[in-house]
Amino acid sequence: MSGGLYVHALDMAVGALLLAGVLALWRRDLAAIVRLFAVQGAALAALVAVLGLHEGHAATVALAAGILVLRAAVLPLMLRRAMLAGGAFRETEPLVNVASSLVAAALLALLSFAVTRPVVELAPSPATRAVPVALTVVLLGFFVLVTRRRALSQVAGFLMMDNGITAVAFLTTTGVPFIVELGMSLDVLLAVLVLQILTSRIRDVFGDSDLDDLRELHD
Amino acid sequence: MTNPTGAAFCAALALGLLAAAAAALPRRVRPAAVGGATAAAGAAAVAAGLSAMAGRPWSAWLPDLLPLAGVRLAVDPLGGLFIAVTGAVAVCAAVYAAGYSRPGRDGPDAGHGLDGGHGLDGRAVQAMLPLFVLAMLLVPAAASVTTFLLAWELMAITSLLLVVAEHRRRASVGEAGLWYAVMTHLGLVAILAGLAGFAAASHGESFDRLREAADGLPPAVRSAVFVATLAGFASKAGIVPLHVWLPRAHPEAPSHVSALMSAAMVNMGVYGIVRVGLDLLGGGPAWWWLIVLAAGAVSALYGILQAVVATDLKRLLAYSTCENMGLVLVGVGAAGLLSVSGARTMAALALTAAMLHVVNHAGFKTLLFLAAGSVLRATGTRDLDALGGLRSPMPATTALFGVGALMASALPPGSAFVSEWLLLQSLVHALPEGGTVAAVTMPVAVAVVALSAGLAIAAFTKAFGVGFLARPRGAGAERAHESPPAMIAGMVLAAAGCVVAALAPGLIADGLSRAVGVAAAVAGPAADPVTGPVVLRPAGMPSTMSPLLITVALLVAAVVLIGVLRAAAAGRARRRARPWDCGAGPASARMEYTATSFAEPLVRVFDDVLAPDTDLDVTPVEESAYLIDSVRYRTEVADRVEHRLYRPVLAAARWTGRAARPLANGSVHRYVGYGFYAFTAMLIVLAVTR
Repeated sequence: MSGGLYVHALDMAVGALLLAGVLALWRRDLAAIVRLFAVQGAALAALVAVLGLHEGHAATVALAAGILVLRAAVLPLMLRRAMLAGGAFRETEPLVNVASSLVAAALLALLSFAVTRPVVELAPSPATRAVPVALTVVLLGFFVLVTRRRALSQVAGFLMMDNGITAVAFLTTTGVPFIVELGMSLDVLLAVLVLQILTSRIRDVFGDSDLDDLRELHD
Repeated sequence: MTNPTGAAFCAALALGLLAAAAAALPRRVRPAAVGGATAAAGAAAVAAGLSAMAGRPWSAWLPDLLPLAGVRLAVDPLGGLFIAVTGAVAVCAAVYAAGYSRPGRDGPDAGHGLDGGHGLDGRAVQAMLPLFVLAMLLVPAAASVTTFLLAWELMAITSLLLVVAEHRRRASVGEAGLWYAVMTHLGLVAILAGLAGFAAASHGESFDRLREAADGLPPAVRSAVFVATLAGFASKAGIVPLHVWLPRAHPEAPSHVSALMSAAMVNMGVYGIVRVGLDLLGGGPAWWWLIVLAAGAVSALYGILQAVVATDLKRLLAYSTCENMGLVLVGVGAAGLLSVSGARTMAALALTAAMLHVVNHAGFKTLLFLAAGSVLRATGTRDLDALGGLRSPMPATTALFGVGALMASALPPGSAFVSEWLLLQSLVHALPEGGTVAAVTMPVAVAVVALSAGLAIAAFTKAFGVGFLARPRGAGAERAHESPPAMIAGMVLAAAGCVVAALAPGLIADGLSRAVGVAAAVAGPAADPVTGPVVLRPAGMPSTMSPLLITVALLVAAVVLIGVLRAAAAGRARRRARPWDCGAGPASARMEYTATSFAEPLVRVFDDVLAPDTDLDVTPVEESAYLIDSVRYRTEVADRVEHRLYRPVLAAARWTGRAARPLANGSVHRYVGYGFYAFTAMLIVLAVTR
């Protein structure tokens, strides 16, 4: 892959990753959040594929295909099934309203640019220059996890955080050992399975999946 | 694999895994299969250890077994000594366990198999036993920090699961398990911190790399590593004030597990101190060894005092473990101290004495715990006050416990005598060579060793005399019956080992000097520290001693004495009479010495140290102050260190927990939010400070 095309493709992929994260903060329709998560997974797969093509690592490209299947198809489908079973399609009022969330997202982006400056300076390259964006995605996912009430959007937040972590890993190292990535993906899959079961249990007990109802369990 | 050490060690590991797999067999054959395979693993380990001590070290590097670090194993003479001891204890305990784990068909202990498959012959408990032995074999064989810590943690977890094996039968087991779990993991944290710091400072984690780098490290790092690892290892060895788990966990564990823990696992603490302090770090300043010596001396005295006043048979043995590990640390500390002042021959002798005491203690403590388990199984109680009169229903157990008690008290035919004699020799003769510090500490150490040896005799006289002789004082003791043959076989093996160690300690003198030679700080003298198969000759001093000749002389004297008495009595007529009872009627079991009354004079003497809690309730007859209706006397000697040192810490922890409760209000968002805010705050700090 030639130099100019590589940088453009990389920037596109990272931009899509970030945009999907920010939009997830804005939308309150659960179906839309799941779709955004699928888009983000595809963007992550594209990012890994671009890196792999640039480096010429066949294994990394194969890994990108795996990521595409898991994060753009399997996990969104599972989330969708959980949503349909749950019967609640809209996020209730989040703890922080949408406007403030977007401002917070901007601040988090500033923070991650400030924090990762030494990393970028260490080895300036198109890949490392994208690291702040990936860290922003991590923080955005965390923010979604903290501020949303529905169990489903929290799971989506958790998974977006993990997308960000994977992106940071690939951008900084260009080539995570295959076994590590495999273990991480398995972890994520397992976590989602557990969360899905938990969500349905919470719904069975409380008739709703608003996590703040769990406070009743506190003695 | 032409190396015999490696072949035997690998065979031990394979047999141990086989034994763990045998736990899947049906319940009927399970105890025998697991016990047999574990005993075979132990025997192979003894062969491996002895072969390493004979000067055939072995090492292996398995890079693929563990991601990132790999597994490094090396069996040198020092590790071989501990492997051999562990293997020997495992043989006795495993043979014994084959009988002990079976559900008792009669007697008060018959409930073994009835509590829903959770008895000692349950699948999980049976699988843990060989895994525990395996972990204890791997600890002295580990040759890198990760391998060592992994084996150490495996040892901690398997032993913890074995301690709580009987948690459904007694509530106190759970509490003991909790204490043990907390203490052993705090110890692990200390060891982890110390060794990780050591590895980071030396840029490598194999023991060879650490040994090379140790000399170049700054003194502060060396001291931090030593103090951190010492704290962790001392807590495993049951050294006061980190001993609190030991007198709880050892009595509550099933008896063969008590034997394994008390005779083999606590040794790993000593191994760690010797390996890190004297080998990897290659010795250090005098204050390190003064701490070791002082901790050893305190624990020897405190342990034996608590043992003297204990009324629980297994608790008594557990405190005796504290005492013996204390004596071993006195030897190790003296060795380190003497090596600082350049008296290497003496240092090697002190370390040899300590290692010999490890071997001897393992022998007699295995025997004593196994015999105590036999009593517990037969009578259902560990309370010495309720025992007694076991000689005729349990002749074999009584005789074997007697042998163990004799070996444990530092009197001539016993094995503890040999090692304590050597220890005293090294301490006494260290004076001219040791410098000022030694001139002050050694006499104190000699006094401590002598006093604890004396009190040990009182403790074991009490355990044997009050526990086994006279008449039964409780219902359990009246119903006692002899244990099954497998248990007796295990005890006989242990007793045979003790007798060999007591009569011919010179047999392992060569191996011991090779083991001591591994410790870089004390290695160097050309002559072996102790020589001679029959007559022990400590190097560099005029004294010699032969346990075999002393025993023969004692036997001859005893035979002559008995012969003379028989001859003198032969001429007179025999008459049967009741013992003198002040005219109060036939002497009953209530008039016997109990454990409490036997220890009472000593409790008075050491009143200030033990601080017993005594209650005297006198109830007079109604309307009369002078006629007494009943008197109740109750005395209890609690562990004072635990009360003074641990209760306040526990109270503080509980208070902090309660004070922090408002932080956790049940909202999941808040919990996740804590993580988010802490993470962002950390990033902001990072962004501002860089």
